[in-house]
Amino acid sequence: MQAVIRRLGKCLKIFVQRISRQPEMGVLIAFFFVLSGFGLGAEGFFTLRTMAGVLTVIAELGILTIGITLLMISGEFDLSVGSVLAISSIICAFLLRIGVIDFLAFFAALIFAAILGWLNGVIVVLTGIPSFIATLGTMMFWRGILLAITGGLPTIPFFGESKILSLLNSPMVKDFRTSAVWMMVIVFVAHLVLRQTAYGNWVYATGGNKEAARSMGVPIARVKIINFTLSGLLAGLAGLMQLARFRTVDALRGQGMELEAIAAAVTGGVLLSGGYGSIFGALLGVLIVGIVRTGLVLAKAPPYWYQAFVGLILIVAVVINIQIKKKGQI
Amino acid sequence: MTEVASAKSLLLLEMKRITKSFGPVLALKEVDFAVGYQEIVGLLGDNGAGKSTLIKILCGVYPPDQGEIYFEGQRIIFKSPREARNSGIETVYQDLALIPLMSLARNFWLGREPKRQLGFLNLLNLKYMKQTVQEAVATLGVNIRSVDEPVASLSGGERQSIAIARALFFGAKLLILDEPTSSLSIKEAAKVLDCVQQAKEKGLSIIFITHNLHHIWPIADRLVILFNGRKVGDYPKSEVSPEDIEGLIISGRKLGKEAWDDRPLLN
Repeated sequence: MQAVIRRLGKCLKIFVQRISRQPEMGVLIAFFFVLSGFGLGAEGFFTLRTMAGVLTVIAELGILTIGITLLMISGEFDLSVGSVLAISSIICAFLLRIGVIDFLAFFAALIFAAILGWLNGVIVVLTGIPSFIATLGTMMFWRGILLAITGGLPTIPFFGESKILSLLNSPMVKDFRTSAVWMMVIVFVAHLVLRQTAYGNWVYATGGNKEAARSMGVPIARVKIINFTLSGLLAGLAGLMQLARFRTVDALRGQGMELEAIAAAVTGGVLLSGGYGSIFGALLGVLIVGIVRTGLVLAKAPPYWYQAFVGLILIVAVVINIQIKKKGQI
Repeated sequence: MTEVASAKSLLLLEMKRITKSFGPVLALKEVDFAVGYQEIVGLLGDNGAGKSTLIKILCGVYPPDQGEIYFEGQRIIFKSPREARNSGIETVYQDLALIPLMSLARNFWLGREPKRQLGFLNLLNLKYMKQTVQEAVATLGVNIRSVDEPVASLSGGERQSIAIARALFFGAKLLILDEPTSSLSIKEAAKVLDCVQQAKEKGLSIIFITHNLHHIWPIADRLVILFNGRKVGDYPKSEVSPEDIEGLIISGRKLGKEAWDDRPLLN
């Protein structure tokens, strides 16, 4: 009996050791901290309605962040996702307004977003300039083009009937929306690809040590271009989801979302330098952002506090992550 | 040299009269170099003697200006390191082809991942990956805590041993180790040497590049010394003393004796 207890104790100790060495620990601590903080401080936080509100916010940001996470693990960056998101929703809204069937408008917008992502990848791989600079350039370029073309138009509305837009993001049960389901599906697929396929292995290797990966036969340029394309595609999808929710779009849509997505990913333990991170961690990062945003509204705090709060959590979570990583490496 | 000539059919690798210059600098002049089956050859020389250039020519990083290369009796010219690897020549460089933050099992199979079919999905066969890695590493007598651990948590010697195990597992015939022990503690270096010896017993031939004779002396079968781009010595270990080798490395001639080759090379 005693032996069994001792054995169980040992197992538990190993389990705790293993868990506490995971760099996602920082985000998990931050997550529970934020959750309990708002649970106590904001009235009506633990209600289905609030949960639905959080999910609505994080569905779009989550999809954006998954693209960014894949890309960051492979050692690159994409600042242009906010602009790509705006372009895809404007293209879709424009096509719908001139009477193109929604199916075509949807895919045209998505494909265009994927092409913009691919273009980022090609620029980075061919010229060898840091992706931070390349995508800062494309972020400004596409935003500028959008502003120039739309000019005087403040918003482009589309309130017509569209099956695809309803499927993408509409109320489902109570206040829960379909967008949350799509995000879950994409989370699951991205996690599967990263952890259970050869391609996922290559993504980690490309970000972890480019030269070693190349010498083992990993096609690092292809991996990067694919991930840039995915990042663009997912940004486009997030944009279409926002369009489906608001039914209007303007040229400033998505501005600053690239930084939110990067902040969420980094809070979730994804390394800025590449080679490490998980979809699970990034999702927790996104959840924190969603909780803070909704919780502050419930707590009747001015919405301006939101950015300050997310910034603070970002720093705290990353400090914890780094401490754990140092300990983990003995 | 007579040994090399008489044992021609028994050679795994033969490089003949390899010459290479980079602009005005003559890096190698008419170097003959051979490796037999299941032989550990120490390739010695000071920094800049031409060791790395010779190896890079062998595995297709640069073409030679002159000279011929035979591998398993076939004349070959590799255009890239990948071609060399596909033919069974595996090079383990000092900076190692391992990804620090990835697990041992994932590193081991990187670029050659085994798949399992799940419906229409092509997934990694993680169970098989872990099991084979455990076995492959154990055959070289290396103890690893867990194949799930990131490579960053392993010691330098363990990493070298894993790179050797990987080459052996994937059917390399000739393993080239570039200064594998130079940054290791004495104890760690001894473990790596043991691993190299084990790999030889499993059928591999090994070229062990170093500028420190003591790192290779315990396990070498033959020693080849380069000096200023020229081969100045090629001896079975039994026919030479460490002092002679040291002399050849430092000055291109044996200490206190008439050099078998003439003066240091001036182009």
